[in-house]
Amino acid sequence: MTNKRSTPPISALDQNLALSSLEPDQLVGAKKHPIPRRHLKAPELLILWTLRIYLIFMTAVVAYQVWLAAR
Amino acid sequence: MKPAAQPEIVVTHEDVDRAHDRVRVSAARAHRGFSSQARLLWLLAGPGVLVMLGENDGPSMLSYAATGARFGIGFFLPFVALTFCVAIIVQEMTVRLGAATHRGHAELIFDRFGPFWGWFSMLDLGIGNFLTLITEFIAVRAGLGFFGVPAWLAILVALVILYAALVSHRYWTWERITLAAAAFNLVFIPVALMTHPRWHSVGHSLITWQPLPGFNKDTLLIVLADIGATVTPWMLFFQQSATVDKGMTTKDIRFGRIDTVLGAALASVAAIATILATAPLFAHQMTADNFQAAEFAQALQPIIGRFGASLFALGMVEAGIVAAITISTSSAYAFGEVTHKPHSLNLPMGEGKSFYAVLTLCAAAAAGIVLIPSLPLVYVVLVVNVVAVLAMPPALVFLFMLVNDKEIMGTFVNPLWANVLAAAVVFILTAAGILFGISIIAPNIFAALGGK
Repeated sequence: MTNKRSTPPISALDQNLALSSLEPDQLVGAKKHPIPRRHLKAPELLILWTLRIYLIFMTAVVAYQVWLAAR
Repeated sequence: MKPAAQPEIVVTHEDVDRAHDRVRVSAARAHRGFSSQARLLWLLAGPGVLVMLGENDGPSMLSYAATGARFGIGFFLPFVALTFCVAIIVQEMTVRLGAATHRGHAELIFDRFGPFWGWFSMLDLGIGNFLTLITEFIAVRAGLGFFGVPAWLAILVALVILYAALVSHRYWTWERITLAAAAFNLVFIPVALMTHPRWHSVGHSLITWQPLPGFNKDTLLIVLADIGATVTPWMLFFQQSATVDKGMTTKDIRFGRIDTVLGAALASVAAIATILATAPLFAHQMTADNFQAAEFAQALQPIIGRFGASLFALGMVEAGIVAAITISTSSAYAFGEVTHKPHSLNLPMGEGKSFYAVLTLCAAAAAGIVLIPSLPLVYVVLVVNVVAVLAMPPALVFLFMLVNDKEIMGTFVNPLWANVLAAAVVFILTAAGILFGISIIAPNIFAALGGK
């Protein structure tokens, strides 16, 4: 196991092991590039707007309950 | 869809640790036969078992115990098993998402649906997880209270175990330590055996779903609570992130499914055993509606003896500790995924300061709150339930949309039959959650059904 406390430099052997054992998009470096935003179609936009309305409603309900309890 | 090609490949310690784990998987896969398949299962099992046994948390085990004490052996035995089947359908999707995209749930929501939903998911999960963590430490405190352990020492023990699992800074070691702790959830099986259940009645109930409980407000609320507790947001986020952290790929999806089914089987057996263990209290017509862990253990002591009651109390302690470990880890994963900070249990401390800080501080803060005298426990549990209702529909909708996203899932997108099944499950879980939330917020609405 690698000594984690001092985080020593990675050997060439380990570099090769990582590059050969992991899929390219498994590497931490690859994950720094975000996956492109999804182009939402009308039904998906409708779902997200429904979610927003639901959240506003539920947040108000929760806030009301907290206010009631605090009283 | 793959991210744009990176100009330079930088290998990190996290990559190297994950690569070592993958080498062992590849070596096992290179052989044929039962032993190599068993070794593959040993290497690849983990996230599914942990998420299912983690969901058998303190409040859930108390709920199963209360179910046994209130209804005895009957409808709820097969019903609880069915709820775990529902959990399998949902959690399997997170395995595929993690293996196909190598990204966590919060990260995918952030990238695919934008920062608003990404931040919302993370904050919503974080608040819900924090409140749930409080209830886990309450379970630990109550369980160890049976042995006369003072509250501060009980909480300290739980935190030491949580932090001990982290010290190696290796996902593999963390997973094995947590799995070993989670295996203790099965302690409810010997406790159930000590009550000498009538196996004929148990078999009859599992097959016929009889006797049915009387249909009233209380029964409906327990049914809704059980359905609503089947899948909680942290489970989706945790299993997908753990699948990614473990380094699983699309080749491992079959074992990811086996892992999930195995976890559900173990968790449902433990849940049914808990109902069986407290069923004698129903026979003695003991009111156990508001019992805590220690009170259940004390009530069972005349029936199963001091040793059996001690096992029951220890089981509650385990349930709280394992859930505290997995839930705090899911918060840390989600924070790292949304803020694009390093997030892995393979990170050395120096590289993963924010990840470990979120994980440890969440747990420590929740543990500290439990030590506050005259804490309004009932209110905390109420808020936990309401927040879960708030969080669950968005989490399920995003899961459904992501697992049907061909650009990121490719050939691993949901087939039609799986979509029909998943849509039904999403609808039922969402409706049950909302109904349960309404029952908490406005209990008078259900008064028309009768009951107390």
